[in-house]
Amino acid sequence: MKNKGLAVFLVGILLFSVAVSGCIGGGGTETQTSTPQYAGKIAVVYDVGGRGDLSFNDMAYLGASRAAKDFNLELKEVQSNSESDYLPNLRSLARKGEYDIIIAVGFMMTDAIKQVADEFPNQKFAIVDGFVPDKPNVMSILFKENEGSALIGALAGLIAANDGKDRVGAVLGIEIPVLYKFESGYRFGVAWAEDYYKQKTGKDVNIEVLSTYTGEFNDPAKGKTAAQAQLGQGAWVIYQIAGATGQGVFDAVYEYLQSQGKDMGPPFAVGVDSAQDWIKPGVIIASMMKRVDVGVYKAVEMAVKGNWQGGVMELGLKEGGVGVSTIDDVKEMFNSLSEETKKQKLKELGFTSEDELFAKLEETRKQVPDWIWNAVKELEEKIKSGEIKVPMATTKDQIEALRNAQTWQEMEELAKQWESS
Amino acid sequence: MRVDIKGFAKPLVESLIAIVIGIVVGGIILAFSGYSPVKAYVALFDGAVGSKYGWAMTLSAATPIILTALTFGIGARTGLFNIGGEGTVYFGAIAAILLTNLWGNILMGLLGGIIAGIAWMAIPAFLKVLRGVNEVVSTIMLNWMAYFIALYIVLQKIPNPEDPNKTIAVPASARFPIIMKGSELSWAFAISVIAALITYYILWHTELGYELRVSGYNERAARYGGINPKKAVIWSFLLGGIMSGLAGATEVMGRPPSYAISQGMANIYGYGFDGIGVSLVGRNHPLGIIFSGIFFGMLKAGATAMQIEAGVPLEMVRMVQGVIVVAVAVPGLLDLLKRVVRR
Repeated sequence: MKNKGLAVFLVGILLFSVAVSGCIGGGGTETQTSTPQYAGKIAVVYDVGGRGDLSFNDMAYLGASRAAKDFNLELKEVQSNSESDYLPNLRSLARKGEYDIIIAVGFMMTDAIKQVADEFPNQKFAIVDGFVPDKPNVMSILFKENEGSALIGALAGLIAANDGKDRVGAVLGIEIPVLYKFESGYRFGVAWAEDYYKQKTGKDVNIEVLSTYTGEFNDPAKGKTAAQAQLGQGAWVIYQIAGATGQGVFDAVYEYLQSQGKDMGPPFAVGVDSAQDWIKPGVIIASMMKRVDVGVYKAVEMAVKGNWQGGVMELGLKEGGVGVSTIDDVKEMFNSLSEETKKQKLKELGFTSEDELFAKLEETRKQVPDWIWNAVKELEEKIKSGEIKVPMATTKDQIEALRNAQTWQEMEELAKQWESS
Repeated sequence: MRVDIKGFAKPLVESLIAIVIGIVVGGIILAFSGYSPVKAYVALFDGAVGSKYGWAMTLSAATPIILTALTFGIGARTGLFNIGGEGTVYFGAIAAILLTNLWGNILMGLLGGIIAGIAWMAIPAFLKVLRGVNEVVSTIMLNWMAYFIALYIVLQKIPNPEDPNKTIAVPASARFPIIMKGSELSWAFAISVIAALITYYILWHTELGYELRVSGYNERAARYGGINPKKAVIWSFLLGGIMSGLAGATEVMGRPPSYAISQGMANIYGYGFDGIGVSLVGRNHPLGIIFSGIFFGMLKAGATAMQIEAGVPLEMVRMVQGVIVVAVAVPGLLDLLKRVVRR
């Protein structure tokens, strides 16, 4: 008797669920049929950081969605719950065989991409930041972070020299080869600034670069402590290369300025990956932008336009893959946020309108004399034309050698040695 | 072996009802958020069990969580709330990597997992027996210690010189062969099932198991009956340690593509906590845990398909899974609470 009641109950629930899902779900299927005819499909697999990180994954989405619109493609997005999801996610997509290209965001997916690329030789893949040089169906999208960081180094070095200071800093995440690329460019830029300053003013300056690896990409508290220590040692500009840990760097510089009764640097912080200037107006002089969106867009374009090529696509200053943020870049980044987020952020920052925010950012940049900005431009042109070669350390030994080098010419010599070997 | 069919019927039906309730509530939430629940669930089940590859994903996802669930299940059956499986997994994985790099075969790796599991779980066991430290407190704290000690070893002691983002890998000779080509399912799954069967045998068909269960039901009665409850506590922890140690070992020896621990232990993190839910759904019974482990594996495998086929974002998928888990876990949790209150 009791069992019978149970069975009736079960059936009832089932019927109810079907009925409910039928009537409410109906609307969804109708809109589906009215979607436009797509010319193809692309898929993006995010790493565990996922969307909403205001940096890496969001930039990948920006590039993919722009490409989807321009080439009339349907975009599928897949998030990863944990690292063991990477392979199943990529395989599930590749097994369908209907995607023009599958894009994996983040170097953590390198092993998984290598494996699926062999299993599905006709499927095109791209991986952001991962190095898979030898497969015809995989494009590795890499960035010359060293070139962008060299410009930041020049900016930081000249600001310090101009104010009569002798130290600048960098707060980094985990000690991995990608971060050596940032650090080598930064050190090179500072050394170049010493030389430039001497030629301009005739004065000898020696600027020391403090670098702290916090061991974390997701710990603002650690970033703050590291930045406070560097400020205490007299660092005049601090470059954050540490993901979310870097939020703490902004906070530390902000509090330092407040304790001096200032609402604008110097000292300054420098942002990374996206145009982060708006996060703490007055504190962040500029950001080293890594245009993941440009890389993803180019990969999709090549896949759908038929000029596909596997191998490494390295994007530097010349290709627009890295660069120092401009006010326009900041505007674009800020406008990619939703209206609600924008309003809330403006309120948090104490502005009544966007114009006020951007006016403040303009004013912040005016704290640095024009000749410094022009010097940075000059270095940019020289790197683009190939006249100056920025070193790119990828091993512990190489970065050590670079830390011991005194002049930028010495560093350039190292760069040439590494390239030839 | 005589299996008590009647004893299984009630919990089985309860769990099934809970699954249905979970699915319905999840479906309603999906519908109100603007997604088609029919499409989403079809995608989930089709993705998880609609193809050979789906089954492979499901079973491979079930492999580690069956083992960590056994840790919790054994504890629950012997009156312990042992949530130290999480930390034990890390050491099982590290030990397996170390031993297989010294002697490149599967048995050494498994042995490493077992030894590491026993060694780490011995700490809360002795704290409980000698000092009377509550195991909930000690295992929570030990999980954190395990995390940082393991992180130190991963970053400083056994990093891969060619790729500092992960540790050295388990050599090819000590990896579990893949059962189905082109999938993640390896014979490590068999280890999970065998471990569950052995646990069942020990608990219900040996004298030791009888003593363990009796101390779990009523410590005072057990003592009156001549059973040493301290012995039961120690055995419970050690068996549990073996299971979670094996979970770590089989994860690095049986999951493509890396066969190593990656930065921040991202690929072995969380299984111990998942195991608690799996065990509750399986009513802390080793045989029930096999099925609930596979059910959780289905949800995990189906999440991928739900995103691709139905466009449901992962956050939504997780939320629906959460509802199902809560609904399913409620009867098991009530049981456990009743027992704790009675104690």
